[in-house]
Amino acid sequence: MPVPMPVPVRTDAGAPTPWREFTTAFASNRGALLAFFVFAAVVFGAVFAPWLAPHDPVQQFRYYMLTPPPWQAGGMAQFPLGTDELGRCILSRLLYGARISLMIGLASVLLALLPGVALGLLAAFHEKWLSPLIMRLMDILLALPGLLLAICVITILGPGLVNTVIAIAIGALPGYVRLVRGSALAEKGRDYVTASRVAGASTARLMFSAVLPNCLAPLIVNATLSFSSAILETAALGFLGLGVQPPLAEWGSMLSAARDYIERAPWVVTMPGLTILVTVLSINLMGDGLRDALDPKLRRAS
Amino acid sequence: MTPLLEIKNLRVTFGGFTAVDGVDLQVQSGELLGIVGESGSGKSVSMMALMGLIDAPGIVSADALRFDGHDLLTMTAAARRHIIGKDIAMVFQDALNSLNPSHTVGDQVREVLRLHLHLRGAALEARVLELFEVVEIPAAKTRLKAYPHEMSGGMNQRVMIAMAIACEPRLLIADEPTTALDVTIQAQVMDLLARLQRDRAMSLVLITHDLAVVAEMAERVNNRVAVMYAGQVVESAAADTLFDHPRHPYTHALLAALPEHNKGAQRLSALPGIVPGRYDRPLGCLLAPRCAFVQDRCRAARPDLIDGVRCFFPVRK
Amino acid sequence: MTEAMTEAVLQAQSLTRHYRVSQGLFKPHATVKALDGVSFFVQRGRTLAVVGESGCGKSTLARQLTLIEPPTSGALLLDGQDAATADKPQLKALRQRVQMVFQNPYASLNPRKTIAAALAEPLLINTRLNAAERNAKVLQMIERVGLRPEHAQRYPHMFSGGQRQRVAVARAMMLSPALVVADEPTSALDVSIQAQVLNLFMDLQQATGTAYVFISHNLAVVEHVAHDVMVMYLGRAVEQGPKHAVLGAPLHPYTRALLGAVPVLKKADRRPRIALVGETPSPINPPSGCSFHTRCPLVQARCRAEVPLLREVDGRRVACHLAEA
Repeated sequence: MPVPMPVPVRTDAGAPTPWREFTTAFASNRGALLAFFVFAAVVFGAVFAPWLAPHDPVQQFRYYMLTPPPWQAGGMAQFPLGTDELGRCILSRLLYGARISLMIGLASVLLALLPGVALGLLAAFHEKWLSPLIMRLMDILLALPGLLLAICVITILGPGLVNTVIAIAIGALPGYVRLVRGSALAEKGRDYVTASRVAGASTARLMFSAVLPNCLAPLIVNATLSFSSAILETAALGFLGLGVQPPLAEWGSMLSAARDYIERAPWVVTMPGLTILVTVLSINLMGDGLRDALDPKLRRAS
Repeated sequence: MTPLLEIKNLRVTFGGFTAVDGVDLQVQSGELLGIVGESGSGKSVSMMALMGLIDAPGIVSADALRFDGHDLLTMTAAARRHIIGKDIAMVFQDALNSLNPSHTVGDQVREVLRLHLHLRGAALEARVLELFEVVEIPAAKTRLKAYPHEMSGGMNQRVMIAMAIACEPRLLIADEPTTALDVTIQAQVMDLLARLQRDRAMSLVLITHDLAVVAEMAERVNNRVAVMYAGQVVESAAADTLFDHPRHPYTHALLAALPEHNKGAQRLSALPGIVPGRYDRPLGCLLAPRCAFVQDRCRAARPDLIDGVRCFFPVRK
Repeated sequence: MTEAMTEAVLQAQSLTRHYRVSQGLFKPHATVKALDGVSFFVQRGRTLAVVGESGCGKSTLARQLTLIEPPTSGALLLDGQDAATADKPQLKALRQRVQMVFQNPYASLNPRKTIAAALAEPLLINTRLNAAERNAKVLQMIERVGLRPEHAQRYPHMFSGGQRQRVAVARAMMLSPALVVADEPTSALDVSIQAQVLNLFMDLQQATGTAYVFISHNLAVVEHVAHDVMVMYLGRAVEQGPKHAVLGAPLHPYTRALLGAVPVLKKADRRPRIALVGETPSPINPPSGCSFHTRCPLVQARCRAEVPLLREVDGRRVACHLAEA
């Protein structure tokens, strides 16, 4: 005997999709939206640097050393932001420097995120032995302040682009592990995870298919914010001469080299300084906006 | 006789969504008002609006919100604070979440007494102990020093009731006071509320989804029951009349869906569909999509509340 | 062994589950006797209702029956095989025979998975069906529980509590289990929705012959859906047997108190109210003798000293010194 068909039920068919809810919430935050566009401009500049840069970043114009920007006396249209102490176009160096900073930021975030997620999930699902082991390892990493840790790693591995990425990633790793472990532990006890267990799911399936998608929101926010710290750390290492080596254009090393010219030729310092400030600020505002948009409790009732 | 509480045309909106849509309610002195409804009916929101607990972006408006003749809407905030918590008190559903986890239960009751009755020292201690004994908390003296998480749900609910009756309120609003409790504890707490109402000649507004609870509470007091659906009062009558001869199709369906009215039947009589959400409010009567007695007129226009029932075609016995 | 027991889908024998809890840094570990020797059996196509209040062990029982945790002692026979001694592949096969519906419809569905993905998961894990076959089964089950095919690609937050419970029931039935453990499946639902979901349970039982272990504190619901009833208190069964015996003519004082406490609309149907003293004691330190003696209105000296065993009295089993035929 077939089951008698009940009256069909209706759902809130007019309710917005999760993506639509997110974009509306994000867009309602003016600061975050503006920051997003600024960041997009930085990315655009970095991606199209070879076409946007007026000059080669390492080319030295011996006759035009320390030329001010066009809006000051003695400036030239040829060098839109002036030149540094070796006659290199600052705008070109900033654009190519953006490539390096963004690349290092992205690479270090990925290098920390992927193992961080794996370790965090393992720690959450194997609470007896693996969890204390992993967390103590992370505590060891956390014992040193971020920049000092990066300096230690660079000292062992040597300076350079790749090693900078590794150093920053190692410093960011414990944050991800803690975050993922915390989220995963909270989700692990929820009924839907138990339901998957009852259906016969293996631990791996529980970790990646059931729990991980529900830990993404704080993870995305953290990744965005650590992107900006990565840029700052790259600049700091560059300033100390430990990160990216000359003649590669990098914002931090540009700052370092220009220390002696703060009074004589302030634009050599202020230009890279402002660029770092604007980029980091825009990423942070974007990250805040992301967090507010992804966390339903913080969202204002629309 | 002027009612103790009079609500006329109460409306609460949350950014375009009308949670409470023109609700009229009255409570006489010493009377029990049962507000019955399912989720989305607006029963809790109405009482929270009365207590001034609706924050932005919620907007509360009413033609009149009168307590003992005073209009709560036109009062200053300070004047309202004198009344709310003292003459009108509220007890919530989940006692553990409604109590402050960082303070002992004794301190929380003391706070109420200090604020509203300005009691201090020995008088304060005596009153707190007395209240704990009135709500039947055993070993009251030692329990005063306990924290909410150290006590069971039933005990916490008694503490909430103690806080609510501390200042001898004229009106007590209980929002699903026993839903989160075990059956035997539920019976104890409901008995306590009934006894308190009788002993103190207190008016009681009981918000619940459980019709049987209202029926048992309504036994020995003057009472009125209002049934709410999707933000509106759809029927209002004395408990006996309502349960024996429901006139609104929704009340009728609610009663018919109770397992105790389906004894021996294979299937329960079930009202199909769900309460309209934010995005699918019907133009006509809000129950029209689900009503077994629906006619064309119901889909076109919304009925008014006439003679205690909001329906173009009330169910006749 | 009676004939009824031989066609039992599930048989529990002295099922016991103790937990060790720490009591702080310097005190010894305490033992929580969450489940203390529970025995019962469930026949094909019938419903056993488990009734009790907080602390009685019904949630622990649910976890035992769905093989989430192994018992401390006792046997759990599913289709004749003891789950306590099964190895991993056997356990995986046994899991398909028992599924669960949870209490909270807002927590039992993965918020990041569409309904279709959630329903396909049991098939993905346990069967070798290809994507098209899985999809077909998913759509078939969706319609069977009263939803429409276009709901398959939606996310849980777009559905009401009652609809989510329908999805939860659908998920439980995907593997055609012999037994479904329903842990307070309608407690979080409104009355009208409760009726819809209960009807769904009954219809499915009639169509598929699935047995239910129905955990509920709502005695009116239990009266409607159950064939047999087991009343639990502090980890033990105090009264169990056919519904008309246990609910119609209860012998144990606790059962009587429960029935008396339930609010009933019609005055004529109300049971005498039996006042119980105090609250349920903690399962860490259960009272001596009969664990109910601290609250029982009929307590005697014997009750404090001697643990009452379940005895066959008047068509059901009851654990009370004072219950005679």
